Amino acid sequence: MSNIYSPNMARVVEIRNETSDVKSFCFEFIDPELRQNFTWKAGQFLILSVFGVGEATFTFANPQTRKQFVECSIRKVGLVTEAIHELEVGDTVGIRGPYGNWFPFEEFKGKNLLFVAGGIGIAALRSPIEYSLDTRGDYGKITILYGARSPMDICYKDKIAEWQNTDNVEVALTVDRGNDEWQHRVGLIPVILKEMNPAAENTVAIICGPPIMIKFTLKALAELGFADDNIVTTLEMKMKCGLGKCGRCNIENLYICKDGPVFYYSQLKNLPEEY
Amino acid sequence: MNYTITTNNLKSLINDLLGVSTVYAPKKAAASVLYEAIASFDEYDSTALMTNTSAKAKIYPQCDRLFEFAKTADSVELKVNEKGEKVQESILFGCRPCDAKGFALLDKLFSWEGYRDESYFSRRDKTTIISISCSVPQPTCFCNSFEDSGPASKTGSDLLLTLTGERYLVEVVTEKGKRIVEGSKYFEPATEKDTALKQEAEQAVLKKMPKRLKLDEIKKSLDTAFESPYWDTVHLPCLKCNVCTFVCPTCYCFDISECPKGYTEGERNRTWDSCMSESFTRMAGGVNPRSDSKRRFRQRVMHKFRYHVDNFNEYLCTGCGRCIKYCPVGMDIKRVLEGVKKG
Repeated sequence: MSNIYSPNMARVVEIRNETSDVKSFCFEFIDPELRQNFTWKAGQFLILSVFGVGEATFTFANPQTRKQFVECSIRKVGLVTEAIHELEVGDTVGIRGPYGNWFPFEEFKGKNLLFVAGGIGIAALRSPIEYSLDTRGDYGKITILYGARSPMDICYKDKIAEWQNTDNVEVALTVDRGNDEWQHRVGLIPVILKEMNPAAENTVAIICGPPIMIKFTLKALAELGFADDNIVTTLEMKMKCGLGKCGRCNIENLYICKDGPVFYYSQLKNLPEEY
Repeated sequence: MNYTITTNNLKSLINDLLGVSTVYAPKKAAASVLYEAIASFDEYDSTALMTNTSAKAKIYPQCDRLFEFAKTADSVELKVNEKGEKVQESILFGCRPCDAKGFALLDKLFSWEGYRDESYFSRRDKTTIISISCSVPQPTCFCNSFEDSGPASKTGSDLLLTLTGERYLVEVVTEKGKRIVEGSKYFEPATEKDTALKQEAEQAVLKKMPKRLKLDEIKKSLDTAFESPYWDTVHLPCLKCNVCTFVCPTCYCFDISECPKGYTEGERNRTWDSCMSESFTRMAGGVNPRSDSKRRFRQRVMHKFRYHVDNFNEYLCTGCGRCIKYCPVGMDIKRVLEGVKKG
């Protein structure tokens, strides 16, 4: 007998240190059938169990077009994530999901894409970025702006190199404070975004980052002429069930776990700021 | 089809049922009356209008094991519903219509959008609810404010008994209820007069009840009240003690938590949680969208009387009045709602 809260067993097959407090983990389901058939859509999330410690919610870091493993990039910030950072290759974890909605790529067809990620927000945007690269023909220009506090805080250095080498993809990196080796931009994301001056026409902006960055990035996008229904973001809330039942991730009558986490800014604008 | 049963035969019925099922009924426990397993009909406290806590816990326990886990050499094994904890057939007897309606509301939540919560339904499906209509409402009662609700409402029950003189009118609501009647010799078919007597009894009780809340108007006010300054002060007396959510027959919010037993085994539990608690929405790292008392108080009112209505087209409240009765600072949800209307 099973229930909707039972996770499926998976093994840690690879661990990469991204920064001093972020690690990427690759998981593989133990059940071969599930390993073959498990899939998701960029933007959805999963709930990861460390048995004896508890569960926490993470976005899929890799897209469904690269689903050899299930990958999550996880910042050490609380009880469960600390336990996850202690995991070693070969350890068993539990995974349930996928949950939530996804980035509406069918609506992005024929448009330019502008990704703006701040800090660990890049973990939520890597899957839509890589999904768009894997379905490259469907979109116009792809621009990626990724900012972090310092060069030491930049995740996915190897992935970024790959993104930069894809045709018609512009990647801009920025940090709040640089160092001697830093070859890229220095400055806050909204400022750099305005310098880059991306054309708003026929472009969808997909943004994720800490609340303060989102606030000023939205302002910058408005100044650049982006309409509210051409801006997409993904929200983070405390979740327990992932199924719209435990009652904590709501904004008004919407449950972020099932009606989100992906929203157009035009939808969010009409909701109270309770997130 | 309706039946009748005499008060003496009801006693025999329950004592017979005790031979085959666990029977939970209002039972005195020190200064309280709680739904507990009874050993004979005599332990049933028929005088209590309302138990101190709702019947909710008998189907949706305060702490429920979702599964046990055991780490093995190369994996982790899950055991769902092991340790002989197979759910038993049981009877919830003497339930009040407000508590029974609570289950009707929870049924929809726990099967919402195709996700069926087996932990809840395993008990729900095996529990037969025999409710008894209320005859003496308390000043805190306001079940008459809701649709499909009231002192003699059938919603959520399998059988509803209403006392009319020396016997009860028995209304069969579900197949489960029908099985009780058909498997017993104590029931007589009801006459039209019996059914009319029930309606008279119901009307008599309704007359004793407070004025109905104008919930449709309140809902309309709530639709635009999120930013209202009303919330700045109305929450101030609230201690955030959570008692309102714990005695409520419809508050369902829960936490999922780990209970390790040594290094290799443990349980994962689902426990009642409360939107009035600070940690309810606090994320790792400290960000909390409902960090203060005002936001949490507003959430409770909004969830029950606006958000839930938007999703399910019914209020998440049955008017049992326990939250009013047990609030240590005398918060009255009815007054809070009336206040929203005034703005």
